Amino acid sequence: MDVELRGITKRFGAVVANDNVNMVIRGGEVLGLLGENGAGKSTMMNILSGLYSPDEGEILIDGKPVSFDGPGDGIAAGIGMVHQHFMLVPVFTVAENVVLGVEPTKRLGYLDLKKARAQVDEINKKYGLHVPADALIEDLPVGIQQRVEILKVLFREADVLILDEPTAVLTPQEVEDFFSIVRSLKEAGKAIVFITHKLHEILAISDRINVLRQGRITGEGVPESLDEAKLAEMMVGRPVSFTVDKTEANPGRAMLEMTDVIMLDDADERLLDKVSLTVHSGEVVGVAGVQGNGQTELVEAITGLERVASGKIIFDGEDITHASVRERHSRGMAHIPEDRHRDGMISTFTIAENMVLNSYYEPAFARGMAIDWASVQKTAAKYCVDFDVRTPSVFLPAGNLSGGNQQKMVVARELERQTKLVIASQPTRGLDVGSIEYIHARLIEARDEGDGVLIVSSELDEIMGLADRILVMFDGRIVAEFDNTGGKADRNAVGLAMAGAHEGAAA
Amino acid sequence: MTFLTKTGLAAVLVAGSVTAASAFTACQVTDTGGIDDAGFNQTAWKGVQDSMAEYGIEGRFLESQAEADYEANLNSLLGGACDVIITVGFLMGDATATSAAANPDQKYSIVDYAYDPTIPNVVGQVYATDQAAFLAGYLAAGMTETGVLGTFGGINIPPVTVFMDGFVHGANHYNSVHGTDVTVLGWNPESQEGLFTGNFDSLDDGRAFAQNLYDEGADIIMPVAGPVGLGSASLANELGTDELKIIGVDADQTQTDPDRAHVYLTSVLKRMDATVQAVIKAAMDDTFEGGLIVGTLENGGVGLAPFHSFEDAVPAELKAEIEEIKAAIIDGSLTIGG
Amino acid sequence: MMDGKDLKHVNEDMRKLLARAAFGRGDFEDLFVVPVFAVVAALVLGAVIMLATGVDLPTIGQSFVALAVGSFGSLNAVSETLTAAIPLVLAGLGLGLGFRAGLFNIGAEGQLLLGGTAAVIFTFSFPSLPFPVLMIFGLLAGALVGAAYASIAGILKATTGAHEVISTIMLNLISFRLLEYILRQPYIQREGRSDPISKSVPEAGQLPRLLDWFDPNLRLHAGVFVMLLAVVFVWWLLFRSKIGFAFRASGANPDAARYAGMRSGLVIVAAMATAGALAGLAGASQVQGVLGRASPGFSAQMGFDAIALALLGRSHPVGILFAGILFGGLEAGGRQMQVDAGVSIDLIGIIQALIIVFIAAPLLVRAIFPWGFRKETKGGKA
Repeated sequence: MDVELRGITKRFGAVVANDNVNMVIRGGEVLGLLGENGAGKSTMMNILSGLYSPDEGEILIDGKPVSFDGPGDGIAAGIGMVHQHFMLVPVFTVAENVVLGVEPTKRLGYLDLKKARAQVDEINKKYGLHVPADALIEDLPVGIQQRVEILKVLFREADVLILDEPTAVLTPQEVEDFFSIVRSLKEAGKAIVFITHKLHEILAISDRINVLRQGRITGEGVPESLDEAKLAEMMVGRPVSFTVDKTEANPGRAMLEMTDVIMLDDADERLLDKVSLTVHSGEVVGVAGVQGNGQTELVEAITGLERVASGKIIFDGEDITHASVRERHSRGMAHIPEDRHRDGMISTFTIAENMVLNSYYEPAFARGMAIDWASVQKTAAKYCVDFDVRTPSVFLPAGNLSGGNQQKMVVARELERQTKLVIASQPTRGLDVGSIEYIHARLIEARDEGDGVLIVSSELDEIMGLADRILVMFDGRIVAEFDNTGGKADRNAVGLAMAGAHEGAAA
Repeated sequence: MTFLTKTGLAAVLVAGSVTAASAFTACQVTDTGGIDDAGFNQTAWKGVQDSMAEYGIEGRFLESQAEADYEANLNSLLGGACDVIITVGFLMGDATATSAAANPDQKYSIVDYAYDPTIPNVVGQVYATDQAAFLAGYLAAGMTETGVLGTFGGINIPPVTVFMDGFVHGANHYNSVHGTDVTVLGWNPESQEGLFTGNFDSLDDGRAFAQNLYDEGADIIMPVAGPVGLGSASLANELGTDELKIIGVDADQTQTDPDRAHVYLTSVLKRMDATVQAVIKAAMDDTFEGGLIVGTLENGGVGLAPFHSFEDAVPAELKAEIEEIKAAIIDGSLTIGG
Repeated sequence: MMDGKDLKHVNEDMRKLLARAAFGRGDFEDLFVVPVFAVVAALVLGAVIMLATGVDLPTIGQSFVALAVGSFGSLNAVSETLTAAIPLVLAGLGLGLGFRAGLFNIGAEGQLLLGGTAAVIFTFSFPSLPFPVLMIFGLLAGALVGAAYASIAGILKATTGAHEVISTIMLNLISFRLLEYILRQPYIQREGRSDPISKSVPEAGQLPRLLDWFDPNLRLHAGVFVMLLAVVFVWWLLFRSKIGFAFRASGANPDAARYAGMRSGLVIVAAMATAGALAGLAGASQVQGVLGRASPGFSAQMGFDAIALALLGRSHPVGILFAGILFGGLEAGGRQMQVDAGVSIDLIGIIQALIIVFIAAPLLVRAIFPWGFRKETKGGKA
């Protein structure tokens, strides 16, 4: 099935989200759609799936114009969307989730789960999905849950599959598996729209590439004639540097020393198992590891969000093992949280309020029991200018900002103060190239000013590019350490350690 | 358009109040039980309604939802709209006195409250309810098969406990006449303590308290808590009258609760309708004078309702004895609790 | 030269960022248009219900005129409206503050009862203190006891995680019985009474009536100033003070507040105590200004009405003030409806509930009155 979008324009008030966009999607082909956050990719796909109707332009399916009045029309026409955020019921089985809304029933509305299971298995086999039909969603890893979403769309007999940033939640290994599924779908004649802002992925999987910027198509081509630098320039509108510009580290005194730190969960299982590490002034230490191997807990222990069962944490010569979050913060520890939406900001609060979320009580912002809002607002405006947070006003709710600007706001709040130690957890997750470049430069700047910087990231590229020293976490322990001065660490060795190979060799 | 409608409606309103003001108007403020409480608010209102029918006067009422409403409701009836204001209930005593003091030209009457000293523009209406309840206690003691009677009240205040006093004394009198050993649960006249729901509106409480007394062996129960007693009646209705009978209070409850009329052995009448009507008559005739009206067996202000469905079940000797006792109380040869 | 230009540029940027966003039409619609239409819709539906229960059209018209006249149509009406609003607004402020801090406090009723009782006991215990000392101390006693009682739920939540909805409901039940017990104690019970009723608040402990020189039946009392001061105070506390910032942050996003180093336990206890103090103050103003004594159930469900009030006022002090005046007006006007049109007081309860439903469902109001609103565009960011 072929789909053509002609002259699509969509406005939200004064904002033009899509401006005269033309696009062709063909069966048996993967179309890569590349663009920064806010470039109009999601609007485009929501129009295609029937969620929005365009202000101008038309959609043609196999040459015939169609009009959609709601999401149901899109799927009925054979266009299915796999969202970035899964829409699954965790306590239902795979089969139950797949048939939800289109349940096969026997007489009197009796649910025919046996039939559902058979249908799920059939699709499984056809495309090599390998999803256990009877497993509960909550027991499945993220990568498999995503396949369930794909199953759902296939079950509804979609011929066009829109995949919205599907790799954002996957580990490098899972990405490989995922690509092989995409290829088998393609071979079966399905049309795939693959949305991402990751350049190497789009080059690896696409047959054709469209680049969107500010609602317009700014570049088209086939992977063979493109490379990352060209794509990035089309996407951002200017040349982008991929290597983090940095000089050699100049490590000074120990800023953070952890000794034999143990953290337990409710069942007394060790989440952190005798973790010891040191971060020096003037160096970036990167913690690599597959998600869920204790990185989150490591950050919680350092920042004081969770109690440690035993061990010692020294911050610039002072024992802070039992200090409160605020105390650590006021001693000069900055924390860029892993999940900025949940933990790093309050989306209903104004940008100004968010800028002082953890320093509102300090003399600079307070007069007696009251907050000096004039001073807060002035400071917030300065932070916005300094860190290039793009907003018309500091009085707007932080939730109105794009993801990249939200993260810049959080980074500004943490780094503008006098800091000694920066803990940055997944600092660029889900951000576009421009923002990533900017935040990386800021972190290196903090290092060069003499801060100790600890970066936790599941993006190996990020760790390789930023860190002067790399620690690998596996199963709550630090299992390997690599010197990365001048980027000399062996990427394969780090990857193996992340997968626990180091573990196996030691045992 | 709205302007026209509003003026039109205002005209209707003005016309309405003019006609209302021309006739003699009796106004009633209820307590929080509401006008349809199957108890004293409703009975007092019946007095107003009877007066409306007999004397051709206007009557209106205001319901209070909270104690804070008493004073406000009284205030909103001032300004000449009402010839006499009737307030209902012991709890309105303070508010009525305050309002009466502030508006000496307005006539007031309060049901269930006696001022000491009296207030010149207020008639208190109180009732020797213990006289009628004494008869009910005697009757119940003669009718019980388990030898256990029960009673409970709404709040421990005199207009409530006076029923319970009379009931217990009446049962005790039966014991001393017949040498029986009938006990009454729920009230001790000496210590003035007993069972109280703490409110005058929860039907659930009425049911639960009756259930407790029934579980303790009582087969005749007198709830003295206004509409709360309706909950007890519905329990009796479910258990059957062989298991549990109810003695109503205030009004003849076979009339106010007709659906369950068969569960009421009798009712202890507190003829507030009669005294209210008497006060209205006095106000109309210009014979209104502040002070006290006491309803007794003698003047018919209190009494025992007919037995209705139990007419045949009550033995003739018992009926005769009750008549004798009634006469003895009226002529003073028998004193209650003496 | 270059630097100077840059600096100028930066200053220009900052000025732009600091320019206040204009008061949007959306805000205006939310804050004013929706409530007005909600009231209209509720009145219309109320009329339909009256019709269905057999009230004739002229009476319905008459009763709505009475509602308007009785709530705002005369000095007495305004006095009654404000008198009814005082305790509702005070308790509503406390609840709204709790909502802002993410606490769903159902306990205003109990806090109000015990606070009011404390005010009565304090004032008749020190009859020799002069006015206004006794009056002010009475109010403080009410606030203090309300705060202490609410803190129980706060401490339980902070230390054991006990959910405040459950614990405050239970504390309400305890307070009802506790009050009956307290009111029977010989020191407290009024002489010569066997029912649970307290001694009276002495003259010097009362909130003086403000308009009785004009007409002795006007009940408006000095509590109205307490109410206005409380509105200003809560506004300052929430939007200007440090602790209020922590309240709001914890309410809007407890995780982010924890990450920012705010102490959730402290916030919970402080917010509950402040809410309790305001509820206690509501009880104190009611007994010192209107009732003059405490008796079982003198709170008359105000603590529960105040929940609706706080929601209606969007947990904003000024919104709560207006919602309180609306509720007060409905109460006073409802009385007039009874007097003039003989319509049941229960109907006012229905209309009140309808107004809340409509305001709580702005989409419904927008659907009913599409011409009242700017056209909505679907969707969000591109």
